[in-house]
Amino acid sequence: MAKKKFSKSGIEIRQKPLGLRMWNCRGYYVMFLPVFIFVLIFYYWPMLGVRYSFYDYKPVGTPKFIGLDNFTKMFTGIGAGAFWTSFGNTLVLSVVKLIITTVASVVVSVFIFEMGNMIVKKTLQTIIYLPHFMSWAVVASIFSLFLSPSATGMVNNILFHGDTSKFIYFLADVKWWRPIFYMINLWKETGWGTIIFLATLSGINPEQYEAADIDGATRMQKIRYVTIPALMNTIITVLILNLAKVMNMFESVFVTYNAAVYDKADVISTYIYRQTFANALPNYGYSTAVGLFKSLVGCVLVLFCNWLSKKTRGRGII
Amino acid sequence: MKRKVLAALLAASMVVSLTACGGGGAAQPAGDAGSAGTEAPAKEEVAGGSEAAEGSEEAAAGDYQLDQITMVVDGTLNANLDNGQKEFNDQWDAYVSEKLGHSIHLDIQQQDHSGYFDAVGRIFASGSYPDVILMPASMFSQYVNTGIFWDMTEAYDNADFQSRMLYPTVNDSVKRIGDGRMYGISPAYGNGCVTYIKKAWLDNVGIDISTVKTFDDYYKMLKAFHEEDPDGNGVKGDTYGVISSGYLKTEEAPYIMYLPEFWQDAYPAIYPNAEGVWVDGFQEQATKDALERIHQAYVDGVIDPVSLTAGTKDAREKWFSADQAGSAGTLSYWAGTWFQTLTENLEKNEVESEVVMLEPIEEVGAYINREAYVWGIIDDGDGDSSREQAIFDAFFETMLDGERGQLLWTYGAEDVHWSTKAEKFTTNADDPEKKKDYEYADGEFHLKQALNDPNTIWKKNYLEPALTICGMKDEYADYVQVGGLAKEGNEFFTAHMKDAPATPSSETLTEAEGTIKDAKDKLIASVVVDGVDVETAMQNYVAAVGPIVEQVLTELNSAE
Repeated sequence: MAKKKFSKSGIEIRQKPLGLRMWNCRGYYVMFLPVFIFVLIFYYWPMLGVRYSFYDYKPVGTPKFIGLDNFTKMFTGIGAGAFWTSFGNTLVLSVVKLIITTVASVVVSVFIFEMGNMIVKKTLQTIIYLPHFMSWAVVASIFSLFLSPSATGMVNNILFHGDTSKFIYFLADVKWWRPIFYMINLWKETGWGTIIFLATLSGINPEQYEAADIDGATRMQKIRYVTIPALMNTIITVLILNLAKVMNMFESVFVTYNAAVYDKADVISTYIYRQTFANALPNYGYSTAVGLFKSLVGCVLVLFCNWLSKKTRGRGII
Repeated sequence: MKRKVLAALLAASMVVSLTACGGGGAAQPAGDAGSAGTEAPAKEEVAGGSEAAEGSEEAAAGDYQLDQITMVVDGTLNANLDNGQKEFNDQWDAYVSEKLGHSIHLDIQQQDHSGYFDAVGRIFASGSYPDVILMPASMFSQYVNTGIFWDMTEAYDNADFQSRMLYPTVNDSVKRIGDGRMYGISPAYGNGCVTYIKKAWLDNVGIDISTVKTFDDYYKMLKAFHEEDPDGNGVKGDTYGVISSGYLKTEEAPYIMYLPEFWQDAYPAIYPNAEGVWVDGFQEQATKDALERIHQAYVDGVIDPVSLTAGTKDAREKWFSADQAGSAGTLSYWAGTWFQTLTENLEKNEVESEVVMLEPIEEVGAYINREAYVWGIIDDGDGDSSREQAIFDAFFETMLDGERGQLLWTYGAEDVHWSTKAEKFTTNADDPEKKKDYEYADGEFHLKQALNDPNTIWKKNYLEPALTICGMKDEYADYVQVGGLAKEGNEFFTAHMKDAPATPSSETLTEAEGTIKDAKDKLIASVVVDGVDVETAMQNYVAAVGPIVEQVLTELNSAE
């Protein structure tokens, strides 16, 4: 006999059998079916490939099961030094970039929001959105030309008045690479990041500003006591959502780094890329193992963010 | 009800579109066995392939009728899709079909040149094996141990083209890689780089190239190019002595070819020394000395600093760019055809175009001839060599037949890339200064305008005429006597070259290749750019990969 279900108030819930409920909703299930198949084929089926992290899998020959050897190589073996360097760099570059771009987006959003002249405001918005639509390859080319240590490098020529002996190789200098990387990211992504904050700002009740005006608040006080508190929830949400993606850094580093700055710039994805594509006979098993570890760390970060979200906002993000 | 019908229709359309997507994607996998005309060997079969191959005899290939050969090749086949590949393919099919007496098709699968390692890896991993594949020697040496290649020793020894063999030693390196057996064939010399110098720059700084005999002379010339005004734009110090693609090309043997004057007698890779013992040249004193020379050049500003990150395309384009400010006076680059191409590009950019080749300075002695690219035949592992022998006969015997087959691989398709018909054409017709008229009589062999750039003349398809291991027959012999800068460049190189050391092949090296390469790249950048002391940097290198390198050396030396 089926177990009876009761609501919190003690009323018996009379539920129809599952089969009948599904039949009643068959239209929705049929609609869902293609999506379900799509997800299975393109998301879950490829996941079966993670088993190769336990194999010696070269392009030629039968993949050979080797247990945890790939992970041993990664954590303590011949790949350990480069792997841990890239792991540390991934976290540092991602988190710092996230904080800097979020702060900059907030500041620029508030600045734009406070602007009175609509024409200037819209023009500025359009200008700062544009870099986001450029590919990283183009961005890297532009900055490589600007920052070139060669006689044609614009920045060096301005800084050192054409004295090539003093020129700095910004993108190959361990002291300069990270600041330049953050700066490029700031230039490219700040504008795009302002969209969500501007949307939030436009939703603030104007009566709050009117009340502040009546109380004699200055512009800075209104920003401090009305605008920023109104933005806090969005800032935290954006930070948390982006924190879950910190392990996915690749393009921005790949197009700007080089051997001279591996210690400061190499991230897990670029390390995997070199291990896979720079070898004549790569071991896909090893690359998969590194990729699997990256995914696990990403998963932990998502769960951490969810926990953090529950703590700060009272509800999770997943 | 309407909603339900609509929902069902929408769902059905999504399923259909999804199915269509899946179907389209699966129709043309790279190197699909179905399109190959030959059955792709199962991986298990491949693993046992070498054993079967070792016992191979010259098979009765006549019994085996091929209807298709699938070929995987990189960008060294100049007749690419934009440059008359279809016509080359059609003419090959027609010629070889006629020669064999049955229809055969060459399925060309040309891969991206810079991503070739990756592309080949994916082709093999997908299980879609080609029939023949081209590999650089360093790549071939790693794949040869997997047993995928057919042992063609007997086929090569008994080949018809042996009677016209000009350079029998070219394939010694292939034998060395296969421990005395031939698992592939190099139809031409590997070629190498020579140092090109802009004649106008030499004249502007008052240096006669014949006086550049030693490294000191060479360095003085580079300094003059940097400190004086060789491009004549009135600004001193806005030019460089030399530009290169990397200080050491760790991913491409023979590694040191783009800065030979700085590397001199160093060979910063694992190689067999004079006693035949495998050593790590990267840790030798010669390498340390070379790194100090390059660092000094970096400090003195005679080497363009972008050399660290420049690709080959970046380096050469900067060298022949229209704006010579920021350019360099010398560039070490590939011999032969490139001599002509570099000159043409300077000309096209309206820069003084005369280029001279520097004879190897005393410390260099000779330019390095890289180990030649190798073609291999994939062994299907069935223990019967008739299919492989048939591929050898249809592909290599015609490639080196001294007749029309060899001509196809050398220059490409008739009346597309070359012709013997009477014709007139003009290059740079719109520019009175650069305009050049060409006129040929009937029966006169000549190269035509390049399809992708009608202002230049086509140079070659795949085989370098002067570097091919077999000569041409009869009237075809005259065809490779085409003069010009390419020929001059080839002759210069062959007169001043020495062979590159052998490429190693070991299990550990295959596993650790990427890690060792990273360590080398880091060391070079730290010494040259950051000025880290060579000894300290070398200690870091040894700490990072020393044990792996030792293991590789032990494997190599114990296998000898």
